[in-house]
Amino acid sequence: MVKSLVVIPDRCMGCHLCELACSQKHYGVMSIERSRIHVVRLHHQPVDAPIFCLQCGLCMASCPVNAIERDPKTGAIIVREEKCIGCGNCVHACPYGAASLDPATGKALICDLCGGDPACVKACPVDALKYLDADQAAKYKRINFSKLQMVVK
Amino acid sequence: MDLHGYAGKILWVDLSRMEIQEKELSRELVKLYLGGTGYAARILWDMLDARLDPLSPENLLIAATGPLTGTLCPSSGSIEFCFKSPLTRIFGETRAGGVFGPKLKFAGYDFIAIRGRSEKPVYLYIRDGYAELRDASHLWGKNVHETTDILLRDLAEPDASVACIGQAGENQVRFASIMVDYDRAAGRCGGGTVMGAKRLKAIVVDGHGEISAAKPEEFFEAAMEAINAVKAKANKGLGRYGTLNGLINLNESGALPTRNFKTCHFEEAEKVSGQTLSEKYLIKKRACFGCPIGCGRYVQVPAGEYQTPPHEGAEYETVDMLGVQSMIGDLEAIIKAGYLCNIYGLDTISAGNVIAFAIEAYERGIITEKDTGGIKLRWGDPKVTLTLIEKIVKREGIGRLLAEGVKRASEKLGRGSEEFACHVKGLEIPAHDARGTSKSLAIQYAVGNPRGACHIEPVWAPMWDFFKVDMGLRRYGLPWPPPSRFEETGVRRGEAYRLLILFGELAGILGICRFPLQAAEEENLNLDRLSRLMTTLTGLDLKPQDLLKVSERVYNLKRCFNVREGVDRSSDRLPRRVMEPIASGPTKGVRVENLDGMLDEFYEAMSWDRETGIPKREKLRELGLGDVAEEVWRSRQSKQEK
Repeated sequence: MVKSLVVIPDRCMGCHLCELACSQKHYGVMSIERSRIHVVRLHHQPVDAPIFCLQCGLCMASCPVNAIERDPKTGAIIVREEKCIGCGNCVHACPYGAASLDPATGKALICDLCGGDPACVKACPVDALKYLDADQAAKYKRINFSKLQMVVK
Repeated sequence: MDLHGYAGKILWVDLSRMEIQEKELSRELVKLYLGGTGYAARILWDMLDARLDPLSPENLLIAATGPLTGTLCPSSGSIEFCFKSPLTRIFGETRAGGVFGPKLKFAGYDFIAIRGRSEKPVYLYIRDGYAELRDASHLWGKNVHETTDILLRDLAEPDASVACIGQAGENQVRFASIMVDYDRAAGRCGGGTVMGAKRLKAIVVDGHGEISAAKPEEFFEAAMEAINAVKAKANKGLGRYGTLNGLINLNESGALPTRNFKTCHFEEAEKVSGQTLSEKYLIKKRACFGCPIGCGRYVQVPAGEYQTPPHEGAEYETVDMLGVQSMIGDLEAIIKAGYLCNIYGLDTISAGNVIAFAIEAYERGIITEKDTGGIKLRWGDPKVTLTLIEKIVKREGIGRLLAEGVKRASEKLGRGSEEFACHVKGLEIPAHDARGTSKSLAIQYAVGNPRGACHIEPVWAPMWDFFKVDMGLRRYGLPWPPPSRFEETGVRRGEAYRLLILFGELAGILGICRFPLQAAEEENLNLDRLSRLMTTLTGLDLKPQDLLKVSERVYNLKRCFNVREGVDRSSDRLPRRVMEPIASGPTKGVRVENLDGMLDEFYEAMSWDRETGIPKREKLRELGLGDVAEEVWRSRQSKQEK
């Protein structure tokens, strides 16, 4: 079965190790800006949340040069860097803020699930990030989206 | 040499001239000191005149990262501030976690060195290789949380990191802290006081750059292995209950300082434990940058007299010093007291120490109701603590005296109050007892290097003889098995303490937290792991022994800085109170019997002169500190001739 990346947000402590692991894996450097996963901390609220691509594919149609494809093996979004012109359309299209532009190259940064072996999952010290069979992952996704209906005072 | 792991630059800021300059890191100094507090110590040694007034514009405030800061090395979110301390008049260093250190490196700087004094309040803004001084008049008078909120809102950069002072620093309380990312405290030695004297309200840093490793794949592997080792702590101990985790054990062992160090046992310990905090007030765990442990506690007292907003607080030192020391067992009141110290930018350790001192002085009639403005200073009364915090911060009434720290306060009061003023070299003793915990702490406090009475910098030495954990140091010569924690001389204590501090110093030099070092070797950052990380990151060949050599150089340089300020064997003393027998509890009767014997053994291990406590010439030369040796021994000679 295809696998999905999910977060169990109650566990995240906001340590940023997933970001460093991501940039190190893809570019051989440590940088939170060159990461494809972003940890958000709300200082006055109990929120530390890793934000990452849900592989919905909305960005694909937005790309004017067809640089965004889907990896048939993992189901992940793949940005063909040699084609990408850095226009930012995919960043605009992404409803989650999960896509960004690499400050070093100007190309789109979208999670490619590391070809099926996500570095962020390995680096997470509290197992807040999980790479699970899609059906199992869906259970966590439902919980996370149900929280959008929570009334926050 | 290509400097992998470093940003490569120092930002020099002169507040008197309102000038900012960028300089390259010195390759030579990097080789000798690696970074962090080591590199900073060399700058302070070179640039500060002996006997300089720490509150004068000439004092330097250095914000220092190390090569491992901001990397995948576990617990790499570290910023060290080094300066001459207005509390102790010797070397001052104080550390905070959060994301400030990593952001500084991502912005392109390993260090910020600040001198001078601005005419008007200013803040320093840094972003990706760009820096400027900006007006902070609108922030002066605001507390730490307000200041941070305003800066982040106005700059519209939610990811930036803010280090700032509160009213305590502005009002020149001698133990004002520098607060980072709202609630992370660089609390000790009066770093906030130095910022206040310079009229520097805040430093804002936002960085979007990167750090590269010399051998990226090997470094990645080494870091993953280290993260996996250290994360074992995340779900137990420090990770589970935060730093309060050890409170019950310390109490049962007769090592929990109570009643201004009169006793080491507290009847109400259960009420202020990490377990109680988790059950009633913990909202979630919060980690500093890169930390698999996550000792941070995001807590709140939701309602009632001691209500607070959510914040990070209630760590062990705060709970003991602001609560237990004054016999307060009401955790809500203690959380509130810690919260107030955080927003005012006041060191909770020094504040708690000086408050307990004041209560004892009142009990003995040395301070009276006339001095306190009618407040009865009683043990176990949270109102006393909360009121005194306000008075200290505002330097109002009795607060004027207490804001000077316990050393100066006791000297002013006299009448025997010096005997229960618990400090070494002017730094208030924290929440570990030099008798009840272990005699390693007696050496540690008395030597007080680099910064006076401190339990954590360079290391929590009782790891050896209290917890009996070798941290992977046995194969580098740590005496094993350790003796009973109460034995003093003839048990290789001096030798052990030497190796422990050389290991501990590495955290400050390499720019990481001390906690991941302080665990059993299968789950810590031991010397071998640090060596592997440093070698693959920087490309320098740094074997464990090489790292220890750098540590030895740095620790001795800091000692020499202090010697130049007048420290010698005669200042390596403990206050009367913590030499006397413990009054009650499991360690009743334990006292420090032969401090001089222990010092002899430690000096011997360090190759320090037995008579003076100064590092020997030959030792300093061997460490490449020949110039330093000449200066300290020459000044010693001229002192004697006078």
